Amino acid sequence: MEREEKELALTRRAFIKSAGAAGAMFLMAGALPSLARPALAAARQTESINDVLKRQYGGRKINMSHVNINAPIIAENGAVVPVTISSDLPMGKDDYVKSIKVYADGNPEPYVAGISLTPANGKAGFALRIKMAKTSNVRAVLETSKGKLYGAVKSVKVTIGGCGG
Amino acid sequence: MVIGRIKIRVPSVIKKGEVVPVMALVTHPMETGLRKTKDGKVVPAYFINDVDVFYGNDRITHCDWTYAISANPFISFYLKADKAAPLKIVYKDNKGGVYQQSVQINPR
Repeated sequence: MEREEKELALTRRAFIKSAGAAGAMFLMAGALPSLARPALAAARQTESINDVLKRQYGGRKINMSHVNINAPIIAENGAVVPVTISSDLPMGKDDYVKSIKVYADGNPEPYVAGISLTPANGKAGFALRIKMAKTSNVRAVLETSKGKLYGAVKSVKVTIGGCGG
Repeated sequence: MVIGRIKIRVPSVIKKGEVVPVMALVTHPMETGLRKTKDGKVVPAYFINDVDVFYGNDRITHCDWTYAISANPFISFYLKADKAAPLKIVYKDNKGGVYQQSVQINPR
């Protein structure tokens, strides 16, 4: 592991000189296996975002409208990525947004947070700061009390990962 | 660092029935359980996994969190201020810690 990292540093330097982007990719490839250490592998099994969505929502259709994600295009630090989710969906007594779920596709576990709301919130929206392991999409899926799903996707570039890799 | 110090911010003047933003910050390390120290030991996971917001006696918002929330979690949400009641936020972490604070909402 030590040696691998040393080599990585050397090649990284060489890479950055020739092609910055390729260097960054190489660094990421090096950082990921350390996340999937055998000791943690069972608990931290990586699940793809499609599997997670399928498990949580079945095959239900997600309308990509009425939801807006505000997040930085480039997050300098993956440990703190501010994400604001807003929606113009109504928050009436019998038709309201009952849950917001937040996903980061590239994380070891894509599911980041689930938030349940009630009509007492008055407006559907939530802001939080999340950790991202690498450059990927941030997703939000809103479920209304009538069972309809709305979602949005935003791509966030991460220069330093935030999951301790 | 004191773990579990909470700051809640609401607008100083609230009209009755108005939808106001509420911001809350809590100090917490939010360890993922994936990080290693320099000597190769895994830092055990330690994070807030459950947040409840009560307005009066009603639970109005609930959060189910994973370790992928940043350290010192910040949240912001909306509240329809239609009654004079305390707004209480309760954070619970995976080691059994419970941290809570409330502010009085007095719409006029």
